[in-house]
Amino acid sequence: MKIENTKAQMRKGVLEFCILSVLKNKDAYVAEILITLKEAKLLVVEGTIYPLLTRLKNSGLLNYRWEESTTGPPRKYYTLTESGQLFLVELTTTWNELHNAVSLVTHPKTTKK
Amino acid sequence: MNKTVSINLAGIFFHIDEDAYQNLKNYFKAIKKSLQNSEGESEILADIEGRVSELFSERIKSSQHVISNKEVDEIISIMGQPEDYKIDEALFEESPEQEKSDIHKRRLFRDSDGAYVGGVSAGLGHYFGIDPLLIRLVWVLLIFGAGMGPLLYVILWILIPAAKTTAEKLAMMGKPVTISNIEKKVQEEFENVKASLERVKNSVNSDNK
Repeated sequence: MKIENTKAQMRKGVLEFCILSVLKNKDAYVAEILITLKEAKLLVVEGTIYPLLTRLKNSGLLNYRWEESTTGPPRKYYTLTESGQLFLVELTTTWNELHNAVSLVTHPKTTKK
Repeated sequence: MNKTVSINLAGIFFHIDEDAYQNLKNYFKAIKKSLQNSEGESEILADIEGRVSELFSERIKSSQHVISNKEVDEIISIMGQPEDYKIDEALFEESPEQEKSDIHKRRLFRDSDGAYVGGVSAGLGHYFGIDPLLIRLVWVLLIFGAGMGPLLYVILWILIPAAKTTAEKLAMMGKPVTISNIEKKVQEEFENVKASLERVKNSVNSDNK
């Protein structure tokens, strides 16, 4: 068992949730999503995001529109669909439950009083 | 001096050095291979090309600027190795797929690197995953037994092609032909050549003394 693989699995598990969260308040094109995720150190290489975005779009959680750019090729602006919003609400609940559960297990002293 | 190629990447026009172009082309090819059978493969590829085009645009100062290998390598390190594009399949597997050597995917070649005579035994050894020494023993026994051994060996020598390219050598060992595996193998061979050159140098030096 390699530590790198386990780390990558952990990161990949929350990546979809984070992509949806980035798009919660405003539409964004891929480079913007990438900047947020890379700043948070959730992504090491950019390539991982493309199959994920396409899968989220094909499952009807995301939609996109093309917008021209002055500096490069046209950009794909992604936006959350209605079912994407619902999905995100559910994932947020699950994440909070998980977060509590993990901190309960890893810091038993600080949470038990 | 370098020859340049003109390319159209997601609708944007770029000048690129010929060797950088080959590098980029191989990279896209490897990604395509890595994404094979995933849902929306062509769309993912188009998105990736778009992003690479965007990254090049950020780096280009004027329309005269020619993209070199340095820039392509930089982009590849941002985008990641072809294996990084796979998402689901390998997610919960213990070992990454590239390290598994699958006996069904092995191909029979003669291994001239590990050869004593023609590399038939070494090749068979790789194919069946056993020590070539055992196969060589069988040849020796066949010479004494029926006398057909040497003839059979020569026939196999003629019929089995030698593993010449790096891709063939990887296929012989049952390792998948990925960019990183090829790089590893080429590096290995380079080290081998270097080591034998050292040996020659050393023996020349000691002869002179």
